[in-house]
Amino acid sequence: MLISRQWLSELLTPGALPSDDAALCAALTSLGLEVEGCTRHGDGLDEVVVAEIVAVAPHPGADRLRVVQLHDGRGVQTVVCGASNVPAPGGKVAYARPGTVLPGGLAIGAKPVRGVDSAGMIASEAELDIGGDDSGILVLPIDTARGQSLAAALPGVRDTVVELSVTPNRPDALGHVGVARDLAVRLDAALQVPQLALPAVAPAEDLVALQAPSRCGRYYGVAFEHATVAPSPAWARVRLHRLGLRALSNVVDVTNLVLMLWGQPLHAFDRAQLAEGRVVVRCAREGERMILLDDRELTLSAEDLVIADAREPMALAGIMGGQRSGVASGSSTLLLEAAWFAPAFVRRSARRHGVLTDSSHRFERGVDHGDGLRFACAQACAWLSELCGARPIALQQRDGELPPPRRIVYRPARAAAVLGLEVPSADAQRILAGVGVALDTADAAAWRCVAPSHRPDLEREVDLIDEVVRHYGLDRLPMRMTPPSAPATAGRPAVRARQRTAAIVTDALRECGLHELVQMAFGSASALAVTGDDAAADDIVRVTNPMRTEAGVLRTHLLPGMLDAVALNLARHGRPLRLFECGRVYRHGPHPVDDGPCADIDRTLPHEPMRAAVVLAAPEPAEASPRRVGEALLHALARLGSAATVRVPAEPVAWLHPGAQAEIVADDGVVVGRFGRVHPRALAPWSLPRGAGVCYGELWLERLPDLRVPRYAALPRFPASARDLSLDVAVDLPAGVIIEALQQAAIAVAATGDDPPRLVAGDRARAAIEWLEDYRGEGIAAGRRAVLLRLHYRAQGRSITDEEVHALHMRIVDTALVALAQRDGALRRR
Amino acid sequence: MSDDDALTRMRHAFAEVELPATRTLDEAYAVKVKYLGKKGLVTELSRALGSLPPDVRRERGQQVNALKAALEQAYDDHCRALTEQAEQAALATFEDLTDVVAPEPGTLHPLTRTRRALERVFASLGFDVADGPHVELARLNFDDLNIGPDHPARDMADTFFVAPPPGSRWQPGDLVLRTHTSPVQVRTMLERTPPIRIVALGTVFRRDDDATHSPMFHQIEGLCVDEGTSLADLRATLYRFVSALFERELQVRFRPSFFPFVEPGAEFDMQCPFCGGKGCSVCKGSGWIELGGAGMVHPAVFEACGIDAERYTGWAFGFGIDRMAMLMHQVPDLRLLFEGDVRFLEQFPC
Ligand SMILES: [Zn+2]
Repeated sequence: MLISRQWLSELLTPGALPSDDAALCAALTSLGLEVEGCTRHGDGLDEVVVAEIVAVAPHPGADRLRVVQLHDGRGVQTVVCGASNVPAPGGKVAYARPGTVLPGGLAIGAKPVRGVDSAGMIASEAELDIGGDDSGILVLPIDTARGQSLAAALPGVRDTVVELSVTPNRPDALGHVGVARDLAVRLDAALQVPQLALPAVAPAEDLVALQAPSRCGRYYGVAFEHATVAPSPAWARVRLHRLGLRALSNVVDVTNLVLMLWGQPLHAFDRAQLAEGRVVVRCAREGERMILLDDRELTLSAEDLVIADAREPMALAGIMGGQRSGVASGSSTLLLEAAWFAPAFVRRSARRHGVLTDSSHRFERGVDHGDGLRFACAQACAWLSELCGARPIALQQRDGELPPPRRIVYRPARAAAVLGLEVPSADAQRILAGVGVALDTADAAAWRCVAPSHRPDLEREVDLIDEVVRHYGLDRLPMRMTPPSAPATAGRPAVRARQRTAAIVTDALRECGLHELVQMAFGSASALAVTGDDAAADDIVRVTNPMRTEAGVLRTHLLPGMLDAVALNLARHGRPLRLFECGRVYRHGPHPVDDGPCADIDRTLPHEPMRAAVVLAAPEPAEASPRRVGEALLHALARLGSAATVRVPAEPVAWLHPGAQAEIVADDGVVVGRFGRVHPRALAPWSLPRGAGVCYGELWLERLPDLRVPRYAALPRFPASARDLSLDVAVDLPAGVIIEALQQAAIAVAATGDDPPRLVAGDRARAAIEWLEDYRGEGIAAGRRAVLLRLHYRAQGRSITDEEVHALHMRIVDTALVALAQRDGALRRR
Repeated sequence: MSDDDALTRMRHAFAEVELPATRTLDEAYAVKVKYLGKKGLVTELSRALGSLPPDVRRERGQQVNALKAALEQAYDDHCRALTEQAEQAALATFEDLTDVVAPEPGTLHPLTRTRRALERVFASLGFDVADGPHVELARLNFDDLNIGPDHPARDMADTFFVAPPPGSRWQPGDLVLRTHTSPVQVRTMLERTPPIRIVALGTVFRRDDDATHSPMFHQIEGLCVDEGTSLADLRATLYRFVSALFERELQVRFRPSFFPFVEPGAEFDMQCPFCGGKGCSVCKGSGWIELGGAGMVHPAVFEACGIDAERYTGWAFGFGIDRMAMLMHQVPDLRLLFEGDVRFLEQFPC
């Protein structure tokens, strides 16, 4: 919303506005009218003056030029002019004296034009940047006094235009009157708004029919005759130009000026085009069609409100006029509409048809249906008479359902409690009265207030409290720390545990030398396909209005986003990469939810589990090791107190290398993640440099065991005993399988008796079974490897003898070897 | 051969022959045991004294004791020499330590760093961290926050809608990607009874994509509901927060503004932490930096959440974590945060 300082000043006590633009902007900002920009106009136009044409003669050397003698108040000057609309002697024009620099940067001098001396220039509106017309010079009214500066003759020439960002609760500030009203309270000035009366004409009976009273609360129709459609006078054109509007014709310009003054959208129909010369405010018929002023064709529904004539829609109410509703140069009879339409209907209609206009913008926020509407209508009538010579002949007001008066009780004590600030009663009353609230303060503790019709946002006591503090000054708010009335209610432990788990995992992965990244939560059909998901499947979370089609789904997996980052980095610099991310993935379907009042809702929302993913990538495959991915993930689990193990997956995934993937099992037996080399086919969509190696792993945080506070266990008091085991095994018999067989055997053959030795962590090792060596090569058959394991034994409360350790060790090994023989028939001790 | 000669020879054999031949403390000790141990040669001599006549025994005893002392002394000297030699030999080696380089440190994303800093400060102010889903019910994202279906403020957030899955009880338009963290306010008020003090930090989504907007970004939202808490408490809390975050005293100012779920509503600025309010390039000379929105919880929100709007008052505030991170680390372009260039990520090691 653009606001003219000049116009504002005309609406307030003279001199009330701060002379400094910055101070004006600060005042507006402090009122919640955010200033987005502030532009001064006309500063260089001091030497542009009103001049009187004295004589006009043809140029001796050029057909299209004329030699003009004019009087600029100091004397007669000679100017060569190329315009065709130079008025006859006595006419008034804008004369730029030599030395002037026009807004476009053109410096005016004195120099001969085709042999005739010419000093200065007769300017057009466009050259002066006070209007859009560049077809000829600016011609001023004949009674304009010569010699004065143009800025004095046309107040809008020198102006400051402030661009306001108006919040949706303040439709009143979408017009100069509303802004002036706020400033009047702040500056302790009086509002001086022309409050005109409606034309005194006989009330008409058949001008307006209101058939949709729930959607149109009030409708003024005023009929005019003898209108002359022509360009507006200079003052109106300058004013519109400053406010970013194009001057069109006097009738349209009047409606725009009223829009800018009162924030009230109006419409002027060419009454001659209205069948039977009257309007009907009615709902559209289903399927009814109309063409808007901007040539868009709409198919209407019963949800739309139209202004029709006796036959068909002429305007989409509150939004835009129809093609035939506009006033053309030949129009002489008019019907002026000033109305209040129900905001929700205007909003829905405008959204449905995608037609957003200055008019719909205001109606959907709520314009004034009271005094403001009447004054706006009266102002328009006055200007139509003044600018167009139109004569009002009939007026009809129709009322539908208007919002009821908003009676609000304001309790000063409540205001003090909400604000933590006691605003003196006199100030509060001055402020409330200033913004238009009708006040009855007979009960000092509970003022009876009625909110004004121009402030539809004032609905409850807090809204009045807001008005009071807004005007009193938020900068006067003290700082106070009220102690809590009781300790704050704690959140659910499960939520805290999840947050802590994610934080620990994040820290752990970072400790492994990985860099954290944050990816967009969006995915795409092709990215989903990499991990075997079908974008059309029911469990995929789809965005119905994505910004780009490739971002139309939410990610189900962190891998594709990580590969995006890998591709970007390898393309930009090719350094080996070590990245991780901790983030949510999304999928519809049944999932556990936290108890509570939102549980029923949460069950119907997608599952959003947290995942941690690690990627190592390098231009050379050897530089990226899946072992390091696994180590990082296991480190994260270890930091959570979980002694996880790794095994060959029961169900390998297709997007990891079939021979280089593993799954991670937490100590409670639940599979909590996987890692491995990414399958070359899965990498294909990213067109990485040929031969690049990418290793990936992930943890499923929602499956991790609950965090527990670590508890002390008694330190071992008696020494452990170790036994080595050397085996000849197939290279593809995984270490995990061998270790698990030994663990199972240890459980199966556990010695009985009082405090028997057990397979437990040794004195110099954390693990009960250590994987010490893995050798292949000389002395070992092809396809075989020699492995060396160390097993540790200990009893809790006594020293153990070599004999009992030996006996236990042999039983465990024998049992395990029997089990392993099923996997590897050639397996033997070395 | 006189007994004196025997003692002299023993001293000679010990101190001049056997002991100097040893190269380690263990070998030296073995020699010492041979002479001075329980069954050692010198010990035998002492034991033999008992059989001598008293006058001879006295003189002989003194000689044996002198020998013992001399051998002890020789042993100690030799051991000291051996220890010194060993030490010098150990010190004669050279280990080149100048080629040490740091292993590549891992890094946290600037958003995580900022998020944690915010959590830490608000935890110290008594706020608990709450959470909510990214795919949210439009009712919790809008309606319960006093943003009804026809409220113009629905335009303020350009919303991504989520298609309800087959068989869902929701209609198109009922599910959205949350446009702000404010639905966590509603969830918290539904779940907990006052007094409530929470912050919610997380990902939010809006249909916006340019140099200063990303369709996905991050917000923090704070909420306090209690008896007797006021806008003045909000201002004090924000003042304490920014001062603690930047570890210097920074003022906070309010400008009136509008958010449907608070009234009175305001935007809040903090004094520029880089120039302390004097004006610099970061604050574009104004001395202030816009942070976010704040205000008193609207009674309509309390009513939607079943909280007695007469008994309780509450306040809420929110601002962008991404912008705060960019401010703290002087990151010029929002897009750097999300594209994952490791040369950017590795700049935040601590
Ligand atoms: Zn600064």
